Amino acid sequence: MSKRKLKNAHLPIGECVSQVHQILRERFCRHQLPERPAGLEAQHKHLEELLKRTAVHGESNSVLIVGPRGAGKTTLLRCVLRELSKETEVQKNLLQVHLNGLLQTDDRVALKEITRQLHLENVVGDKVFGSFAENLAFLLEALKKGDRSSSRPVLFVLDEFDLFAHHKNQTLLYNLFDVSQAAQTPIAVVGISCRLDVLELLEKRVKSRFSHRQIHLLSSLTFPQYLDRVRAQLRLPDDFPDGSFAEEWNASVKSLCEDGSVDEVLRRHFHSSTDFRSMHALLMLCLSRVSVAKPAIRPADLLDASRLCSADTKVNMLRGLSVLELCLIIAMKHLNDVYRGEPFNLQMVHNEFKKFLQRKSNSMYNFEHPVVMKAFEHLQQLELIRPVDGSSAKTQREYQLMRLMLDHSQIMEALQKYPQCPTDIKQWAASAFA
Amino acid sequence: MAGLLQQPGYEEERLQRISELLPCREVQAGLLLSLMGQPQQYCYPSIFIFGHRSSGKSHVLNVLLKELELPHATVSCVECVSATLLFEEVLLSFFGSDAASLLPRSPSLSDFVRVYRLHRSQFPAKQTRYVIMEKAELLRDAEANLLPALLRFQELVEDNVAVILLSEIVWDTFRPNTGCFEPLLLHFPDYSKGELQQILSRDRHPSYSAEFYSSYINILLGVFYSVCRDLRELRHLAALNFPKFCEPLEAGKVKETDTHKLWKNIEPHLKKAMQTVYLREVSSLQWEQMQQVEEHEAGALRGLSAHTHVELPYYSKFLLIAAYLASYNPARTDKRFFLKHHGKIKKTNFLKKNEKTSNHLLGPKPFPLDRLLAIFYSVVDSRVAPTASIFSQISSLVTLQLLVQVSHDDQLDAPKYKCAVSLDFITAVSRTVNFEIVKYLYDFL
Amino acid sequence: MSTSSLSKGCFVFKPSPKKRKKALGLESYFIRVCEGAESSQLRFKLCQDLWDKIKTETEVLQDELNRTVLDSLLEFIRKCSSTRQHDAWASQMRASEIPTAALMLGVNVPDHDMTFQSLSELLRQSVTPLVASIQAKECGALKQLMKKVLEGLMDTEVDDDSDDDEEEEEGREQSQLRRSMHCSLATLCDWYMSKTKKPCGGTLGKKRSSSVINERQPPVVIIFKDLEAFNPRVLQDFILICSRYIQRLPLAFIFGIATSPSTIQRVLPHSVSSLLCIELFQSLSCTRHLTTVFDKLILTPSFPFKLNGRVMQVLMSVFLYHDFSVRNFIKGLQLALLEHFASQPLSVLCCGKEEALRNGARLGPGDLERVRQLPSFGRYVEKQEAQEQDELMIDDNYLKDLCQKLIKDLHKYHKCYYPILRCLHTLTSSLPRYPLGKQIRELHLICLERNVWETEDYQSAMKLLKMMAKDELILLLQRCAEILQTVKMKNDLVRLEELLSRFKQLDAAAETVPNVEENLISPAKNLQKKTDLFQLQKTLLEMNESRRSKKLTPFQALRNEALELIDSLVKSYLSPPESKPLYEACYYSSSAAVRRHLNATPRTSIQAALSSPHLYLQNDSLKTEDGTVSNAAPDICIAYKLHLEGGRLINLCDWLEAYATVVSAAEGNDPNSDSFGKVDEVKHAHFIRAVSELEFLGFIKTTRQKTDHVARLTWGGC
Repeated sequence: MSKRKLKNAHLPIGECVSQVHQILRERFCRHQLPERPAGLEAQHKHLEELLKRTAVHGESNSVLIVGPRGAGKTTLLRCVLRELSKETEVQKNLLQVHLNGLLQTDDRVALKEITRQLHLENVVGDKVFGSFAENLAFLLEALKKGDRSSSRPVLFVLDEFDLFAHHKNQTLLYNLFDVSQAAQTPIAVVGISCRLDVLELLEKRVKSRFSHRQIHLLSSLTFPQYLDRVRAQLRLPDDFPDGSFAEEWNASVKSLCEDGSVDEVLRRHFHSSTDFRSMHALLMLCLSRVSVAKPAIRPADLLDASRLCSADTKVNMLRGLSVLELCLIIAMKHLNDVYRGEPFNLQMVHNEFKKFLQRKSNSMYNFEHPVVMKAFEHLQQLELIRPVDGSSAKTQREYQLMRLMLDHSQIMEALQKYPQCPTDIKQWAASAFA
Repeated sequence: MAGLLQQPGYEEERLQRISELLPCREVQAGLLLSLMGQPQQYCYPSIFIFGHRSSGKSHVLNVLLKELELPHATVSCVECVSATLLFEEVLLSFFGSDAASLLPRSPSLSDFVRVYRLHRSQFPAKQTRYVIMEKAELLRDAEANLLPALLRFQELVEDNVAVILLSEIVWDTFRPNTGCFEPLLLHFPDYSKGELQQILSRDRHPSYSAEFYSSYINILLGVFYSVCRDLRELRHLAALNFPKFCEPLEAGKVKETDTHKLWKNIEPHLKKAMQTVYLREVSSLQWEQMQQVEEHEAGALRGLSAHTHVELPYYSKFLLIAAYLASYNPARTDKRFFLKHHGKIKKTNFLKKNEKTSNHLLGPKPFPLDRLLAIFYSVVDSRVAPTASIFSQISSLVTLQLLVQVSHDDQLDAPKYKCAVSLDFITAVSRTVNFEIVKYLYDFL
Repeated sequence: MSTSSLSKGCFVFKPSPKKRKKALGLESYFIRVCEGAESSQLRFKLCQDLWDKIKTETEVLQDELNRTVLDSLLEFIRKCSSTRQHDAWASQMRASEIPTAALMLGVNVPDHDMTFQSLSELLRQSVTPLVASIQAKECGALKQLMKKVLEGLMDTEVDDDSDDDEEEEEGREQSQLRRSMHCSLATLCDWYMSKTKKPCGGTLGKKRSSSVINERQPPVVIIFKDLEAFNPRVLQDFILICSRYIQRLPLAFIFGIATSPSTIQRVLPHSVSSLLCIELFQSLSCTRHLTTVFDKLILTPSFPFKLNGRVMQVLMSVFLYHDFSVRNFIKGLQLALLEHFASQPLSVLCCGKEEALRNGARLGPGDLERVRQLPSFGRYVEKQEAQEQDELMIDDNYLKDLCQKLIKDLHKYHKCYYPILRCLHTLTSSLPRYPLGKQIRELHLICLERNVWETEDYQSAMKLLKMMAKDELILLLQRCAEILQTVKMKNDLVRLEELLSRFKQLDAAAETVPNVEENLISPAKNLQKKTDLFQLQKTLLEMNESRRSKKLTPFQALRNEALELIDSLVKSYLSPPESKPLYEACYYSSSAAVRRHLNATPRTSIQAALSSPHLYLQNDSLKTEDGTVSNAAPDICIAYKLHLEGGRLINLCDWLEAYATVVSAAEGNDPNSDSFGKVDEVKHAHFIRAVSELEFLGFIKTTRQKTDHVARLTWGGC
């Protein structure tokens, strides 16, 4: 840490800015852990207790950390582990096994991974085991070997816990919990899941072996707290090399959070989602605008950042369509209105479109059938329309029944934004008989 | 405009070059660059870039990464028939072939991550590594956990790596039902008319002046912009019609500057082309000649779409006609159409009121083989024995996709078919055997 | 798709004798089936020679017919590969597109293979060794498609390369194809790079044709044989992938399309088709192909073997009505050939003139007897006076000598027939409404059937000719003269020539002739097809009236003379072959056999088998007088016979009863014992099996209309 000694040194502005980026980016990408998990003190304490008991006193334990995505489950756990690792006997004692439901898609793979993380490949060699249980038992047994009579405690962290529940017979879970019940090797099983109903996924025999400890991270935080969070996320640490710049920065952050427009934007975000991730995304966008030229986050940045985040993607896509495709969409809209959301096929849409053209004198848009076909295909490719039934390989494309994946408002908004949209089409969109 | 691209940590002239290579995409490039940050800094774990075809998504990325010489792996999801190819591609381009060879046969995601971590610990990232997924929509069809894993790849491998997904489809359709790590959404809007003009004018013909070509592009856009905004298509059209545009010039009738005359000359041509935009209308000399020989009609430049005429054996024609009738007429009307003396069928109960939508909107209905044959025997003028070749003709019609077999292939008894040709086609066919099909179609009574 | 190929496979391609030809000891087979054993070896040899001649002839024909399109195709491939190097502006614009040739082949699917074969051969030897041709049915999924393509390309490479490369190519290829999921274009790309680098080293390429060596970058051609049948999804993906590599890998596609160019759009969405730069190529239409085959094979004296009108009719109808396949047409010809030589002992005379004479000299008494039996010979004999007749009937040597003469006549007849036929055709083919047919084959058919000059079509044609304008007529006559020049028909030619010269003089002398005819004929000409025949006839008639009224101009006189000449020629040469004695030796006439083989009717054959089993079981004890079925016949035959007597709904019970009676009659236990006609479970089982077999064959089906009844599905003969 070279920062220590050049504290309060004056750095060139560019250096400072890059430092800011460095720090904040790491924070947003969740590599730089916060000192304390904001607003989760209770859970933090609880978890730390549990794990300590395993690590130090060799008690077995099992616990689930449940909370919506981005609520800071992983962060919480990692904070706790960091705390634990500070204590010397823990760090030389405790073994850790990290599994992730996304990666270890079945128990065989999981077991391999466990073996690897416990550095037991050579011990196992090419033994063959009758059952999963035997194998696991052997592994844990292998840990006993060595000078110590009592084996070292093992911490199993199962990220995306719910996915493990989908494995065949839930063998892994069963065995882990089973071991955690039996007082042989002290292990702690920590499951992390975003599904509140995760317990329902467990089979009875598995569930019965699980100590029904759950740590819920239900964010019940109020807007002021949220605001504090934002501020906390943005503010620079005190050990920032250039003290003065840090102060300026933090001051600017403070003022930012007090700004009215910002407040309103953040409120909107707060109401849509309170989790860290979306906040990080938002702040990341703001941060990306910070440069030497303007070494602070302006309200304007936040505004268009939020605009970027909360733009209706479909409307964006609609704006890029050709006029013909737009016409088809309008025709579909009318069909939807007439037949109350009955599925339609290209023929019908084309028919509707033709009606419109007949009313119009100009033959600007009457294309050959194949061209219309192409346009239709394109819409399908963009998944703005979806075929009704999956098994439509046999039917010709022009007769395949489709549904429109857009709603009124989106179409209308798109029409408003559409560059050089012909007026007659606008009228037609407004009413089928324009 | 070069000033738009500024990012500490990269040489000025490189940024300069980039902004020249990316006309009309400075904004997006700039945003992307600022998100990527300085080479050693962390980038947001996953970015999802969407926009229409040829709105420069992959182009911008490739230019950025190549010019700035950042470590990156570009993967097209079409190509990755299996996830293995994807893994190998990534490892190969980050750590070289030996890493790729470490993967076991048909590796799982965890193997991949393991190998990656292994090498990551050997060569830690000095710069952010980028994984680019083209046509990301296909990831949805891969194993369920692939996409979520990729989205939080950075976290899984604990490396300074960012995954960038490119797609033409909006993110909403990607999200798995249990949710996942939300990537940063970036939209690449289409080029505006002006931008198109600017871009298209770049690839000018060497033997003509830039103004001349850009004026040509101007005319082109004037005609096509309303119906076609696809850069690639427009470029194709430009290439296709430019010689025509130059003709009077070659003939020495007009000067380059005389735009109006040129316009007069090209305009009808373009108008004609507009009717068939999006259908790659190319036809070769040899073919045109053959057509001349074949049918003695004036072989004006007609494209693929125009040539729907198919030469069929005599009975095949009738089989096709029969199939068409069978699939567009309700079965109950066969009596009236094909019986010589169908007693007195009242118009009223014959024409059902409730059928408001015509069958030509709803499309063909499947029909059993024997109905087809029954109609066939009644429409064909001469008496035909049910020989094997009749049946083989039916099956070869299926091969030619003029008929579609609805029932499954291995169902041998009572197969069901559908007629897959258009009304125009069938009328053309029936004209050649002077059979007035319209008289036999329920929709046209 | 598979079904289609199957059905083609077993119904169309299968003249069973051909199978025999293929099999070992053909000759013995042949001899077994053919009658008149003594001359069989000879006939077999003749047949073989003739067939070989025909085969080679057709192949040559095939090649030169496809020449044009194939050449232009090759040119296209060459161009696209070369333009990629040097930078024409257009090709620059197209650089990112894959050059694609859409080859229109027509619906005669059976013929396509030949075309593709010659195409890929030509490509290999003249443009590039890297050619892979794939079929839809091998490529259900993208992986398989990839695999096929890679294998195709690399295999050709391995074959092409000199040995030292072969090992390592081998090894490389194995390593790729063993891990089959790695069949990606990337591997192909690397492989291609390594391959194209090698020639600079000059290690290989001595085996390759020069054009490839001097070309650094041979294009990689992929042929999709049947585009319609491909799974669109797979095709799209493949093209998308290819387009990513087009910069590094000079790819080129060839689509084989049977129906119409618009198929491409039906199969490919715009996002994909915009990656292709498509050129269309039209292979020649099968009808024109057939016409040429007809000219070279049928309408020529060089092949002694002939078909009579009816057989010709059958072959034509198979072609025109069922499949436009020239290949099948030739197969039919082959079949007829075999049948002829097998069935007709006198076919020893069916060969070149000298040989025929020689064989004629060697005719045995049996053969001579057969000659006497010949109807044509009979007709000939009747024309002779009495003692001549019994001479012929008795004296073999006399007959032999006569045969020599007759054979000579026959050959002479053929020699003159075709040129005159062509002349007549040239004269009449341009007439309004084509009274004698548009195609020469139609005219040929007419001439085979009867005396063409007695038909009213001929008359009307002559009428039309009678008012043809001068210059046209001269033109046509000159063409006729040319035709006659090719063959040696001195005297006729001379007459025609001098007529022509007189026409010329006429020009020189009197330009003043008021030739009303032009302005008379010109309406007649421009109302080709438009007005109906009746109209036309009327106009003609009044023209004749007007002509009679005024005296003939010299031109008209001359014209009439010319037409008389033509008429005389026709009368003297175009008499139908039946009139020629010994024509049976060369003409194959049993159309029924051909039809049975080429246009099989499975249904009727099944019925034949059921109603007269003795034909199939070759057991004459089962033969009965017509209508009834022997009660010793197989169960199913009996059941079938009985069910024919039933109505639309057949009561199973009654059916069983009847069956039992018949069978027990067969068992021969006496009619008035009470066990007679009893249904024991054996009979019952037999019956049930028979019924189920009938159901399987589609004669009956179970019905819900009435309990324990079955519905009958067939009626009467069919």
